[in-house]
Amino acid sequence: MSVSTNTAPQATGARQVSWYEASARTRVSQLLDESSFKEFLGPQEREMSPNLKSFDLPEQFDDGMIVGRGLIKRMPVFVAAQEGRFMGGAFGEVHGAKLTGLLRASRDIGSIPVLILFDTGGVRLQEANAGELAIAEIMRAVIEARIAGVSVIGLIGGRAGCYGGGGLIAGCCSALAVSEQGRISVSGPEVIETNRGVEEFDSKDRALVWRTMGGKHRRLIGGTDAFVDDTIEDFRETALSLLADTRPFTLQTLHEEQARLEWRIQQFGTSADAIDIWRSMGVDDAAAIPEMTYAQFTAAAQKIRRPNHAAR
Amino acid sequence: MQWHKNRDARDQRIEAGRKLSAGKIVDAQDATRLLEAVICKGDRVCLEGDNQKQADLLSSALLAVNTEFISDLHMVQSGVVLPEHLDLFERGVATKLDYAYSGPQSARIAQMLFGGKIQLGAVHTYLELFARYFIDLTPNVALIAAVSADREGNLYTGPNTEDTPTVVEATAFKDGVVIAQVNEIVANVPRVDIPGDRVHFVVKADKPFFVEPLFTRDPAAITETQILTAMLAIKGIYAPYGVKRLNHGIGFNTAAIELLLPTFGEALGLKGRIASHFALNPHPALIPAIESGWVEQIHSFGSEVGMDDYIRARSDVYFTGPDGSLRSNRAFSQVAGLYACDMFIGSTLQIDLAGNSSTVTTTRIAGFGGAPNMGSDARGRRHPSEPWLQAGKEADPAGLPALRRGRKLVVQIGETFGEKNVPLFVEKLDAIALAEKLNLDLAPVMIYGDDVTHIVTEEGIANLLLCRDPDEREQAIRGVAGYTDVGRGRDKSMVNQLRDRGVIQRPEDLGIDPLQADRNLLAARSIKDIVRWSGGLYAPPSKFRNW
Repeated sequence: MSVSTNTAPQATGARQVSWYEASARTRVSQLLDESSFKEFLGPQEREMSPNLKSFDLPEQFDDGMIVGRGLIKRMPVFVAAQEGRFMGGAFGEVHGAKLTGLLRASRDIGSIPVLILFDTGGVRLQEANAGELAIAEIMRAVIEARIAGVSVIGLIGGRAGCYGGGGLIAGCCSALAVSEQGRISVSGPEVIETNRGVEEFDSKDRALVWRTMGGKHRRLIGGTDAFVDDTIEDFRETALSLLADTRPFTLQTLHEEQARLEWRIQQFGTSADAIDIWRSMGVDDAAAIPEMTYAQFTAAAQKIRRPNHAAR
Repeated sequence: MQWHKNRDARDQRIEAGRKLSAGKIVDAQDATRLLEAVICKGDRVCLEGDNQKQADLLSSALLAVNTEFISDLHMVQSGVVLPEHLDLFERGVATKLDYAYSGPQSARIAQMLFGGKIQLGAVHTYLELFARYFIDLTPNVALIAAVSADREGNLYTGPNTEDTPTVVEATAFKDGVVIAQVNEIVANVPRVDIPGDRVHFVVKADKPFFVEPLFTRDPAAITETQILTAMLAIKGIYAPYGVKRLNHGIGFNTAAIELLLPTFGEALGLKGRIASHFALNPHPALIPAIESGWVEQIHSFGSEVGMDDYIRARSDVYFTGPDGSLRSNRAFSQVAGLYACDMFIGSTLQIDLAGNSSTVTTTRIAGFGGAPNMGSDARGRRHPSEPWLQAGKEADPAGLPALRRGRKLVVQIGETFGEKNVPLFVEKLDAIALAEKLNLDLAPVMIYGDDVTHIVTEEGIANLLLCRDPDEREQAIRGVAGYTDVGRGRDKSMVNQLRDRGVIQRPEDLGIDPLQADRNLLAARSIKDIVRWSGGLYAPPSKFRNW
């Protein structure tokens, strides 16, 4: 009867905690060296959204954004984490301002990198103008920090994915790490279906959603620098290796990034489905990609002709 | 005197239909004409709408009939599930309805009942409607669905046999006409679920009949409060009564129980002592318990999308046919749940102060389905079992043991505040307001209070068997109703007394620390974990994937 018990998930140690399952605070505390996290504008300050009350919506003391500093393998870092379970991690006025402030601090100091733990559906509709402004400010702040020589690393693997303005900010980062569960895109599945029809994109077909926006696809087409297993431990190890790889950010970088993206749309722009893209990239059994385990997938991904990841 | 008018009329109907068929086979494009030939005005028609499987081609065909010839049909079907089922009433093809369950159409059916578009006979439980098929609601025509047919009309239903044998039995043996839609016509069917001599016409559909995955609960959506209620149920009810034979509802609380058996249950040393024999659909959430050797046998009402290969590979556990796939049967499984199970546990939307529960709200009439059959004491039961005797003893400690009826354990489980923070406990059920509005003789109560033996919430367990009068019962219910208005209206000293007597048990009384209720306790925390447990045999439908 115990046919596959040995392959079944076992009881997990603290470091084996699922990133996808964890709260933003658990992610931060276990990503960093033990007890090293110092929060800025923590929940006890009650810096809450000024706008939600008028919609009769519940507020949260940290407005769903945790910012602070800490150590990762004794290296100082700034950390920002979105709580996807509060309003889908959406950007509002205070939520956005906390991240902007953190990024500006890193720019001014110039030597402490930033980790952004994305978990967001995009801008909060109830404070849309403030949210959209926040996205613009954050994108500018990411670029300014990078010009000042600071690495800004995005870690993506939460339930809300990384959508809307979050997808735009992720596109500005020095490097990204994503897990299979993580999704990166600008327009979400429901938005596409609403605007373009169910024939264009069936948001309820979750296999389609994941193979179009999910971590494996982003890894294969070079939309992310690293593919990680869904544990806080693996995110930590990967963040460390991405932090070690610091490249200067110059006009040349942007030219190369532009060229990389143009190449990508030329190569794959006419493909109707992600599986076609994988096949044309030389993946042997493209249709089997979604079912592969982490180990099987990383092995398969290593084998294929790797699109130019160097730019960003 | 003529003694075979009905048979003669049936033969005439078949004769009329034969003009459109080659042997028994009819083209899909002739389906409406076939129905016009075979059905008469005012007929009782069973349009097979099961809990899962839908005769969707025949629904559309019936909807398209010319209402000059066919109207005023009396629909007798267990499930009102497809929009077409109600469009029939909008168009005047049908006027009268007797049914059991209307899940996805529950809001529209309520509107149409208020608007007088449907003459309602009654809302039934499954067994009740099936029973009436043989007494006073026998169909003149049955429109059913199967996977394949041979040229003789032998049908293979595949794993979703569900209601088909019951519907065909009542129709074919009482001079009715049986028309089947099938996905394909084959030389030999993999197994005969319905013998061909009971089937008069076979229509090949262009696409497979519709099946809804109704019994898949994504472990990712199980909350810690639900886990706490599941821990309380396992330690506070399953273990002390030694419940081996049971039925689970389809909510997240019972999915949590299924996923805690191999972890929390194992740690309590309960394997082999509880939860080994089920009347249950093939719930994916039960896979970890099956793989860990907890489950000996499951009989199923229907099947579940994605479970076919897994079931096939675990025939020691499930009922399977000579072809290897599941054989389900709703009527038999309902009987099994009623007579051969010692416990039903499920969630509900509203519970009142007497313990009556209902899933009706003022705008939705979801019907009953099978829960009342599972969740009621079978007064005709005569075989003893430990849990049944123990429950009987708690209800009537002074009674003479040899003459004392046992009791089925009927457990309602839920959080004090349900979805969207709506309180589970109410002073008055919405079902009563609905009955007043629709002028019904009976309010649609899912499970009557006198059948309920236990209520489990995150606040604890109320054992209603131990209550000696309606006051105690009310306070026991208030005592586990938490911060709802009903809970805050409790008599504190009486609730304390009930707790001293063990009528109410708090988590700490059972040695359960609410902080232990952690998602890490779930044997599977995602659909993908379940796939892994199944060794890749479970193939979840796309809507449940996040990969």
